[in-house]
Amino acid sequence: MASDIAIASRIHAALADYLKKDAGAIQAHHALRDDLGLDSMATIELLYRIEETFDLQIPDEDLQKFRTVGDVTAYVEGRLKPAPKSKPVKGTTKAPSKRPAGKKKG
Amino acid sequence: MNPRVVITGLGIVSPIGIGIGPFWKAALEGRSGITALQPFGELPLDAYRSRVAGHVLDFDTVRFPDAIHADRVDRYARFALAATSEAVADAGLRMEQERPHRVGVIVGAGMGGMVMGEREITQLYRSQKPNRVHPNFIPMITLNSASGIVAMAHGAKGPNLTISTACSSSAHAVGQALTCIRSGQADVVIVAGADASITPLVFAGFCSLRALSTGFNDRPSQASRPFDRARDGFVMGEGSGALILESLAHAKKRRARIYAEVAGYAATSEAHHMVIPREDGEEVATTIRLALKDAQVTPSQVDYINAHATSTPIGDVVEVKAIRRVFKARAEKIAVNATKSLVGHTLGAAGAIGSLACALAIETGRLHPTLNYEDPDPACALKGISSDVQERPVTVALLNAFGFGSNNAAVVFKKYR
Repeated sequence: MASDIAIASRIHAALADYLKKDAGAIQAHHALRDDLGLDSMATIELLYRIEETFDLQIPDEDLQKFRTVGDVTAYVEGRLKPAPKSKPVKGTTKAPSKRPAGKKKG
Repeated sequence: MNPRVVITGLGIVSPIGIGIGPFWKAALEGRSGITALQPFGELPLDAYRSRVAGHVLDFDTVRFPDAIHADRVDRYARFALAATSEAVADAGLRMEQERPHRVGVIVGAGMGGMVMGEREITQLYRSQKPNRVHPNFIPMITLNSASGIVAMAHGAKGPNLTISTACSSSAHAVGQALTCIRSGQADVVIVAGADASITPLVFAGFCSLRALSTGFNDRPSQASRPFDRARDGFVMGEGSGALILESLAHAKKRRARIYAEVAGYAATSEAHHMVIPREDGEEVATTIRLALKDAQVTPSQVDYINAHATSTPIGDVVEVKAIRRVFKARAEKIAVNATKSLVGHTLGAAGAIGSLACALAIETGRLHPTLNYEDPDPACALKGISSDVQERPVTVALLNAFGFGSNNAAVVFKKYR
């Protein structure tokens, strides 16, 4: 449970940073598109940060699973579960330190 | 009264054939040019989400005269050189009989000299030796190296322009050539579109944009499937298409063979988003309407649409929405095909390759199939799309092209009468 909170808060922090909002303003039930205003490109930029934060590769076909903030958290949870000890998530509630610029496209 | 403008020569370098003969034969046979992604040196290919591409695999056999110094330009420009040389020969254009300042060159390129670009940047950071950067690095990556070398090869001293509007680049090149001849700046314009950017960095960039097909890595020939329900992104291709455009008077004077007339063109910006089109299709519809108006044809006269149709989930739907907006009930009666189903998305070359598919359709009355159109997606299905060759006379053809940067183009071709 503790790790759930840690993952959720890191995702909320990443989102808050991306959206330039207060982390407290991000709720698990918020819809990425309708509540937070993320279009498909913004969602891709956000997931790029999340991939880096949690050292994950998120396949294209999984993108449609992400409707709400809670969906993203649950997904990352699920992906990290098989080997929770071998690859501990560094830090606990800290925002990701190694943050890509994210806004610009190649 | 604007001079009429006609197409008198064609040339192509494509994943399904080098040269118009082989290309058109393969296109009508419905051959796919999509294969497994070729290795990028030592890079781990399995780290690329998409591993399919439309490579031009046999280009090394193409030889250029020594005097042209084709080795001083990047792969995309060599593609353009080969395609335009074929088009000039096909048109029977003899430069020694032309006034050189009346012959222009307009090339569309989306990415440019990325083979050299990526190699030199990588070597610089590895070697830490700025003094070892290749002397041809700058002329090779400069985006107008293709239009430059094409002019040098043919002695064309008229307007020499490069248009870079991502995936719509060479549709604009055709349109701007029309404008150039109409305005009296040139009698003839050698037009090309070219790109060769299936390179480690660019390919990775398109993967990161989540724009490419990833679900058919084990079945490459099925990966490019415009309008099909299972489509999941575009497949990167490479190549060049070339067309000779000239004023009708000039073509008649030298008794040139005429494939088709270039009758109208429109260029617009959605002013909306760098990579996402407006979902209702209205901006694309406006572009089509403007091109038809420029060509002085009504929607009821259009028989054939060479669709932009990249095989992305959103893009194909937006395009069909636009077609339905413009053509209403007639949308189901127009023949539509997607050249990208055969060769992948050749980026800056796509508009020129689509244009020459229009010219060949008008000339032959045959439309190539749309590969992998097996399970029509109701959101973007039209009755005129077929996975078989369609035989029907084409009097008016429309080419659509859209590019990143919120960019739209449409070109109208007519049977010459």
